[in-house]
Amino acid sequence: MSLFEEISATLQQGRKPKVEQLVQQGLDEGISPKSLLEEGLLPGMEVIGEKFKNNQVFVPEVLVAARAMNAGVAVLKPYIAAEEIGGKGKVVIGTVKGDLHDIGKNLVKLMMEGRGLTVVDLGIDVPAETFVTAAIENDADVICCSALLTTTMNEMKTVVEKSEEFNIRDKVKIIIGGAPVTQSFCDSIGADSYTEDAATAADVALEYCSV
Amino acid sequence: MPIKPIREKWKGTMTDRERFNHQMHYRPFDRCFNMEFGYWDENFTQWKMFKENGIKSDSQADLFFSFDRLECVSGNIWLSPHFEGKVVEETETTRTVLNGDGLLAVERKDGSSIPHYIGSSVVTPDDWKRVKEERMRVDDPARIVNIEWLKERYPDDRDFPLSVNCGSMIGKIRDMLTFEGLAYACYDYPDMVEDMVEQCCLLVEHFLDQVLPHITFDLASGWEDICFKNGPIVTVDFFKNVVTPRYKRIRKKLDAYGIDIWYTDCDGDVRPLLPYMLEGGINCLFPFEVNGCAHPSELFAEYGKDLRIMGGVDKMALGSGRDAIDSYMKSLAPLVERGGYIPFCDHRCPPNVPEEDYLYYLDLKEAMFGLK
Repeated sequence: MSLFEEISATLQQGRKPKVEQLVQQGLDEGISPKSLLEEGLLPGMEVIGEKFKNNQVFVPEVLVAARAMNAGVAVLKPYIAAEEIGGKGKVVIGTVKGDLHDIGKNLVKLMMEGRGLTVVDLGIDVPAETFVTAAIENDADVICCSALLTTTMNEMKTVVEKSEEFNIRDKVKIIIGGAPVTQSFCDSIGADSYTEDAATAADVALEYCSV
Repeated sequence: MPIKPIREKWKGTMTDRERFNHQMHYRPFDRCFNMEFGYWDENFTQWKMFKENGIKSDSQADLFFSFDRLECVSGNIWLSPHFEGKVVEETETTRTVLNGDGLLAVERKDGSSIPHYIGSSVVTPDDWKRVKEERMRVDDPARIVNIEWLKERYPDDRDFPLSVNCGSMIGKIRDMLTFEGLAYACYDYPDMVEDMVEQCCLLVEHFLDQVLPHITFDLASGWEDICFKNGPIVTVDFFKNVVTPRYKRIRKKLDAYGIDIWYTDCDGDVRPLLPYMLEGGINCLFPFEVNGCAHPSELFAEYGKDLRIMGGVDKMALGSGRDAIDSYMKSLAPLVERGGYIPFCDHRCPPNVPEEDYLYYLDLKEAMFGLK
């Protein structure tokens, strides 16, 4: 097994100290930080994302794998330009106004970071205008909105409307998700994409950022 | 103000207790057991019929709609004493509190969203050791049940079903550690988490040993909420190897007193865990969430009569107009007919359901599943 494969496999097992050790070993052997990231850490998270989509692993495995990846990235950070970590695109993410749920949103964030995207986390209870102004300030490719409540999901429509009002609708894609959200709701409010799970949200965001 | 019911109790030829037991044991029943899970707080301030009639709680609503009666006996099977609640910080719209479970939580002042948990009092084995000694002792005198009071309140010849609460083996631990905290703790401190589950089980067993010899129960109940829409929030292996064996111990105690129905309240997609719930002796899901999991018929098709379901009326359908309600209720008719299934809204009815449509749903339910 190559070092890259070992990093990927260890990350999938959530073994944070071992991932840190292997990444450091790679640096010590003169392997470029970019290669360790793109051929070791990110592929490991990609496998976890696929397994999550296929119900082969569940949230706990994703959380510990993401924690291991973040630990590996922390080892690389002094040696790698910030834009190379998360250089595949930029997303602003948040839970919409009136809603304090953040578990789903956090999972999506972890998955997106694990696919090499930079994620600006606006937190919970985020007003529609904040999504849009943050997207402008960060030159984001994607706005990602989460809601768990039937009573708050309509705030996503306001995000779409605000993006039109601020003239960025043709520059950003809007992805929505959360327990009560459906494709038909997505269609009805004019968002770009509804995704059923965090891993698919990361796939779609990556696709949007690649265009 | 006395509660004046807006609907009469459905006609029937059995007592609520006979009806529940017949329906859940696949025996002939006069008509479907009529119950609902409850309502969001906003419904009590927004629905005109609640406001005008002074209905402010689920229990008052049960009387208002003349639902059948189902009660539960619970013990002191969690933290004793609880952490002392206090407000740590306030903004115009939120307050940050330390709650009774020792969690630091941000709450909206208008109560329109469940709290956002940002920290736990238990992270390491040392934290748990302290909490276990101070708040989870089985020999705490506050855990002694007042049996005479219960016997008087719940005589053997009562006419309504009564459940005994078997608590939670992992859901309350999830509450205490937080969602992410539990996931990390299972990897970082597996022995600590297993000891927490064991302590929960010991507390439930202690409670059951006190009440089961004295009260005749019709069913057992519990709560876990350990799944969300993309599956369980503990690993399947953890559930199978740590939680299921404790369920089996409780099942043994219930069996000794002839209590064969045991439901647990678990939201989300329970399917990956369901085989291990059934193996442990939990054989009923309540108030089965459709949108986060599946239509109840899918689970019945897979598990047959080994599984019962209570709930399973899609709250999204209730909020989508009368055609959607008609269509969804029709899909439930064969399930009610088969037995082992009691339909009601899958969790508290949200305020986006118009009250007129909610009454329409209740009346349709009576027309379809009431006394013919």
